[in-house]
Amino acid sequence: MGIAITGIGVISAIGNGADATLASLRQKQSGIGEVRHLPTCHRGLPVGEVDDSDNELKHGLGIAEDTEVSRTVLLGATALHEAIADAGIDKAQCQRMVLVSGTTVGGMDVTERYFGQLAESDEHLQPVMSHDCGSSTEATARYGGIGGVRCTTVSTACSSALNAIAVGAELLSRGEADVVIAGGSEALSLFHLNGFNSLMILSQERCRPFDAVRNGLNLGEGAAYVVMQRSDDATGRVYGYVAGYGNACDAYHQTASSPDGEGAYRAMSEALAMGGVKPEDIDYVNAHGTATENNDSSESAALRRLFGDAMPPVSSTKGYTGHTTSASGAIEVVISLLAMQHGFVPANVGYNTADIACIEPSMGIEGVSLRRVLCNSFGFGGNDSSLLLSLDEPKYPWPSYSQSAVVAADVVIDNSESLAELRQYIPVLETRRMGKLLKAATLSSLQALRKAGIDAPDAVIAATRWGMLETSERFLSDMCQGGETMLKPSLFMQSTHNTIASAIAIRTRCQGYNITYSHGSASLDWALDDARRLIAQGKARSVLVGLHDESTPMFADICRRLGCPMPYEVYSRSILLTTD
Amino acid sequence: MDELIHTLKLQIIEALNLEEMTPDDIDASAPLFGEGLGLDSIDALELIVLLEKHYGIRLANPSEGKAIFSSVSSIADYVSKNRKK
Repeated sequence: MGIAITGIGVISAIGNGADATLASLRQKQSGIGEVRHLPTCHRGLPVGEVDDSDNELKHGLGIAEDTEVSRTVLLGATALHEAIADAGIDKAQCQRMVLVSGTTVGGMDVTERYFGQLAESDEHLQPVMSHDCGSSTEATARYGGIGGVRCTTVSTACSSALNAIAVGAELLSRGEADVVIAGGSEALSLFHLNGFNSLMILSQERCRPFDAVRNGLNLGEGAAYVVMQRSDDATGRVYGYVAGYGNACDAYHQTASSPDGEGAYRAMSEALAMGGVKPEDIDYVNAHGTATENNDSSESAALRRLFGDAMPPVSSTKGYTGHTTSASGAIEVVISLLAMQHGFVPANVGYNTADIACIEPSMGIEGVSLRRVLCNSFGFGGNDSSLLLSLDEPKYPWPSYSQSAVVAADVVIDNSESLAELRQYIPVLETRRMGKLLKAATLSSLQALRKAGIDAPDAVIAATRWGMLETSERFLSDMCQGGETMLKPSLFMQSTHNTIASAIAIRTRCQGYNITYSHGSASLDWALDDARRLIAQGKARSVLVGLHDESTPMFADICRRLGCPMPYEVYSRSILLTTD
Repeated sequence: MDELIHTLKLQIIEALNLEEMTPDDIDASAPLFGEGLGLDSIDALELIVLLEKHYGIRLANPSEGKAIFSSVSSIADYVSKNRKK
């Protein structure tokens, strides 16, 4: 029995809906152009914006214009409606439905709008408190027509949505749900446009993945969801099957990929092994292909290691949509499914000149049979994942669950005074960019490992409600007060929720499974559940699970004014689970 | 030039958050990246921000920074010739 994809929904710069998306792909029509909606001063940076304004999206969803809803939620709900209708799922008849969504930006557009007024006025505190990833997913479910279903949120930066689909497939194979809707949503924000700009990896022109003269990425936005069911339950149309997935950590650098693409290679190899297929069985690879110098050469190295001289057609579709960050994995899975259904290889638009350091991408092939497709999605911190899609029902056996997990160590750090102990583990120079949460998380992790007598875990799983609050707030504050120039890259690179788990992986050289859950107070339960699953399946002998959150004076003040429980200044709990 | 070197050291310590370091701890002629102080590509981006913020110098491409940022002395040399403020 396999995991069947029975419905799809998508919105991006190349169209609202699967039909519009397919038409753009076949006409080789890119959606990248001038900024129209985002209120940025960087007018010269091309972006892949969704055509519809917030109000147009609200009309489509039946939401009043004066209702405060983030663009991430509006895009997500639009794609969710389409996916559910496409699958013909009736929520009332399905009690065991789960939504697994990926996002990092969450409600950032709303927070940016009101950030400057938060100190003086209470008016916009509540919408800003709905900024977090978990609230964003819950609101997406609500406006997407499935309010009240069980939800979780994966936040591994640009690989979030692909990991969400893999997490969803696991829930189905374990029988914990009968219908899973998985994907991701991310709206453009000033925060991450300026963040990527501070890293100097945005192109002033349309992006050119794998091209010798590529000079950076274009950001995009959008959302996509797939409806998944066990094949026995799939009575209607099946787009394809989720035949395998791999999740590995490059554990090389906080933002850069390793020259040999180790994480990418591991993720792709794992996906193939799970699906029981060989490299030569792959008919097409939808590459991550962001068009940065670093990603494309690293991914090419990984592809060459895996496929050798028998390279299948490979293309990046970022030239159509821009890099839709946390949503990209799901958008590209939908694009891959459309390509499989209609028998064509999407063109790597923007490509012109061959680069010796890169694979030569496909400029589009019509009339081909794509039975097995690999879809790559990589994120900051080396959160590399790959998903194997197949038109044939996979024959792999369901994983068995035999091992049980025990707690080998449980360490809590709940104040910043104890952070000085980090010096026992790490030279001061190496902590220069770490905020207090990253210091606390690193310290509690290293202490838990030392207690258990383990140098490196087999997997790292983090849980966080608010993520890297201090560095994000500083970046936001600099941007709102000082304008969209001269912003600090070291703050932005430490703003994604997966910063913590990837930093721990880099520190302990753990290249295994690595994921971050950010779903309010349920985050740790989801993380522990996933860790126990890894151990039960024999995929890991030790898993480092952590709950990490922090506060700032501004955040604490907002909590006080809203009457919420006062947050810890810093809180990090690291639990090491091992086989018994 | 000595005054500029001293000022640059203070600005580098602040921009890169080099806790517990003083200007005397940084050898103006020693390499900043790799073998010397051990800075990395993100620090280089921070130095690009520093040049723009304090001296009005804009580097369009991170690769331009490689030669300029080889040591504090080389930064001082570049700043003295190219500063806009």
